[in-house]
Amino acid sequence: MNKRLKIFRYIMIMLMLILFLRAGYLQLVQGEYYRKLSEGNRTSYRPINAPRGKIYSYFEEEENPREYLMAANKMAYSIYILPQEVPEQLEVTGLINRLVEICDLEFDNEPESPRESLYYNYRVNRKRNIEAMGSVFTSFPVLIKRNISPENMLLIKENQERLPGLTVEDYPARDYNYNDLAAHVLGYVGEVNKEELRNDEGQNYRVGDYTGKTGLEATYETYLRGTGGMEQIEINNRGEKIQTLGTRPPESGYDLVLNIDLELQKKTEKLLEDHIELLREQRQKEEQEDDESGSFLTGAAVILMEPDTGALKALTSYPSFDLNLFARGISAGNYEELISNPQRPFLNRTTTPYPAGSVFKLVTGTAAIEELGVRGETKFVDENGLFYIPGWSRPFKNWHPVGEGEIDFTRAIARSNNIVFYELGYDLYQNFGGEKLIEYSRRYGFGELTGVDLPYESRGQIPDHRWKMQTRGEGWYPGDSVNLAIGQGGLLVTPLQLLNMVSVVANRGKIYRPRLVNRVLDQDGSILEQWEPEVITELDVGKEAFEILEEGMIDTTEKDYGTGSGYFSDLSYKVAGKTGTAQTAVEGENHGWFVGYAPASDPEVAFVVFLENGASSANTLPLVGDILTEYFSEAETINEEKSITENHREYNIERSIGTNLSREGPPALLADILRDMDSKFSAE
Amino acid sequence: MFLEWKTNYFKNLNLFVPLLTLMIIIIGFIVLSSAVEINNPEQGGMNLIYRQLTAAVLGLGFIFLMQFIDYRKLKYFHITFYVLTIGLLVYILFSAEQIGGARRWLSWGWFRFQPSEFAKIFVVLFLASYLEKKEDELQTLKGFLKPFILISVPFVLILLQNDLGTALILLFIFLAMLFVAGANRKMLLVFIGALLLITVLIIVSQLFLEVQVPFLQEYQINRLLIFINPGIDPQGSGYNVIQSLIAVGSGGFSGKGWFAGTQNQLNFLPEKHTDFIFAVFGEEFGFIGVSVLLILYFFLLSQFINIALEIKDKYGKLIITGIASMFFFHIFENIGMSMGLMPITGIPLPFLSYGGSSMVAFLIGIGLIINVNIHRKKLGF
Repeated sequence: MNKRLKIFRYIMIMLMLILFLRAGYLQLVQGEYYRKLSEGNRTSYRPINAPRGKIYSYFEEEENPREYLMAANKMAYSIYILPQEVPEQLEVTGLINRLVEICDLEFDNEPESPRESLYYNYRVNRKRNIEAMGSVFTSFPVLIKRNISPENMLLIKENQERLPGLTVEDYPARDYNYNDLAAHVLGYVGEVNKEELRNDEGQNYRVGDYTGKTGLEATYETYLRGTGGMEQIEINNRGEKIQTLGTRPPESGYDLVLNIDLELQKKTEKLLEDHIELLREQRQKEEQEDDESGSFLTGAAVILMEPDTGALKALTSYPSFDLNLFARGISAGNYEELISNPQRPFLNRTTTPYPAGSVFKLVTGTAAIEELGVRGETKFVDENGLFYIPGWSRPFKNWHPVGEGEIDFTRAIARSNNIVFYELGYDLYQNFGGEKLIEYSRRYGFGELTGVDLPYESRGQIPDHRWKMQTRGEGWYPGDSVNLAIGQGGLLVTPLQLLNMVSVVANRGKIYRPRLVNRVLDQDGSILEQWEPEVITELDVGKEAFEILEEGMIDTTEKDYGTGSGYFSDLSYKVAGKTGTAQTAVEGENHGWFVGYAPASDPEVAFVVFLENGASSANTLPLVGDILTEYFSEAETINEEKSITENHREYNIERSIGTNLSREGPPALLADILRDMDSKFSAE
Repeated sequence: MFLEWKTNYFKNLNLFVPLLTLMIIIIGFIVLSSAVEINNPEQGGMNLIYRQLTAAVLGLGFIFLMQFIDYRKLKYFHITFYVLTIGLLVYILFSAEQIGGARRWLSWGWFRFQPSEFAKIFVVLFLASYLEKKEDELQTLKGFLKPFILISVPFVLILLQNDLGTALILLFIFLAMLFVAGANRKMLLVFIGALLLITVLIIVSQLFLEVQVPFLQEYQINRLLIFINPGIDPQGSGYNVIQSLIAVGSGGFSGKGWFAGTQNQLNFLPEKHTDFIFAVFGEEFGFIGVSVLLILYFFLLSQFINIALEIKDKYGKLIITGIASMFFFHIFENIGMSMGLMPITGIPLPFLSYGGSSMVAFLIGIGLIINVNIHRKKLGF
């Protein structure tokens, strides 16, 4: 046995000796080679850009996501400088000079020359690389320009010999499937600006990187962005690649699945555009003599939401703009044109404050029912369409020039009778002071953010004593309460807030947080975060109040005398609605509003339609009728855009690792590069 | 009395074993500090150091407590060890957390450990008492095959956990103990030859015929293929070897110095505080450091054998053979992998790799050696 133990020891000695010899070979014989590799004298780095997360409209988990794709990526190119590989006699400035001679690059910031911009980008990004690595010797590639065109990429490739130390790498650029569809929902991407670079919280941005600027692209930037990867390669003394030494694969961003219903969104936008065109034509015919229709119907907003969850099914702001203009770097000319458009296409009208007008009567009504004991049958009298505050000579007028006589509360809602609501506003003021109605407005969520997952949402404005002192330098008068009762006088609300208001009636008191994103998917397509409906507050108001309001809202659309009659009585279900025509604080025509939900008996969808300077709420009615018909139509619609989706050249993460068009071997021929590009695109 | 303590225990003690162990543990903490970048406070490396320290203290405590029991009493529990091993492995298979494609962890509240590290020691104890009296039987084919059948159960269970490294160690321990126990030399050679042939067949069938190999995951086969040619790797795991080679090789004669290994900073070197800690060591301490470490390991193993040679008790000899082969295979496979000599498997380097379970398990191994050493009956008087 001891003999075998000694043999066992000999075997261990032999094998240990092998380890020893191997260490000697690696560290003594090959030590110099490996040292050069590790010190970067023979190594170089190539960035691997991470594709931005995709955005899908709503789909069930068993459905094919590709049909619901709204935003993806397509192949573009970025230019990097490899600081260690730029020849000393040339220097980075010389290299950039040559680059500018060879190709014509476009930049956002017009006044600086391309040469200046490129050099600026180089300096800033080089500094950030050094900070990130903690060493001035870092040989990480320095980004100088994102998003160059394939033509420029080819020009650089052809002239690669004249451009030592410069490399072009694949870059997945944002690409939107439907150009201007849901532009305010998705938002656009753009080059990171100086402020964003300064407030960079662990995002590790470089000048020239793209970041979400508006819409969901901005709200969910940290989810969508992903993390870039890196490839370490061994190079020979001509800077050519010998082999790959290591890779850190990029992590693509997380995908978003929205609550938005793609078909509904398309239909809504189409109907809205057609409708606006029709209204403008009509207006032009009427006003042929003085051709000043420019101030009529300057914009619009439509939102559809599930009232009992807060899921936003369609959200559109008119006019829209082409998101793809931004995705590949918008030209200065295009940008100037958009920014100077008087109709302000960038403005998201769904979260912008406007005067509310009569739709606000639902709030006044709630306060009257709760505080003054008003019921549906409660009788009021409108003698002559005028209302006087005792002791004041100037009357408040109804929109209807003649008196409507005896009128009950339900009918007053359906008729949107100002006189009744003036009286209620005045009574509330007399009994409880000016604060009462203001308090009810706040409880309905006005003056507060709805918490929707969109950036730059406005709180709107509730006029109160302090506001009055600040703007007019005088206190709160009874007349202010009377004005507020019909939604005028300093009250500003966003369409989304009004949608929440009308959903409160549908929900009998609950306010949900409106939400665009349904779920977040990780790289494998499994759910990372799933949205659950979230009740923000529940109004402490008896159910009866909402039933009374609902009765008036149904009469609005059903009864011949209702302000919303004529478009909904043929439907198989009842629509609860409230019209509003708001005087604008600034010059221009009145705004048209229509809010409501359907079916009234079991609300599936709440809606708000807003026509900016649309003259009258009456103009909204046919549009709402069409949208509801569309919403409730069972017919399966043919997906016209499907072919676009399928042919869509989608950027693929694996491909970006495998086929970097980097500087391998002699400069590739034009034909080779074209073939390479072709295979990339057709492989999908 | 089950527990006893005699004063001549200390006289019997081979002092080299505890001293060498402590020296290697200290080297371990020196490398680990650099590998987890404690000079870089945001990395939270200090946390890992504290945990490793706790495991080391726990293991040293075990060594001390173990000496109150004469190892010979363990002989009667060999069935228990076998059942315990199988029970543990089956339990992991159904309830352990899956990390990186392999089921290896058990969590009981805050307490988390890798049972397979301890399973190896149980197997050593079981095999030692099984093989002790079998020298004659092992000459016959039937007697030779019996232990194979017994060991195949834990072996397959470990393979089912996708833990190829541990399975290979088990195989090596088994063969070493079988050899020392006196198995027929011809039969042993035939068996080893057959094993090599099967390995070659697996690789060839995968490479040329793309046959799915039972028990082996794709990544494990890839690792074998990479071992043959690092350049062919499709998923990037072949780069681990290249990165490790660059790190070790660039250490040169005297190394780049403590905390000065440049290959770490870019984090291309994977698992640098666990599986690839030798790469960090080689880069920072160079050929001199590697030589010292290898010599220390060798001296330790050599002391194990010396102790085994000094005693008469076969059971004790076999325990030492098992523990020594376990240590040796860990060292050879881990360092060999870091230098591109062996395929990549995730097994730790004794006392250097970060990991509480393996630290405690290796120290228990040392405790067993010391136990055999001090409870020996002196030969030749």
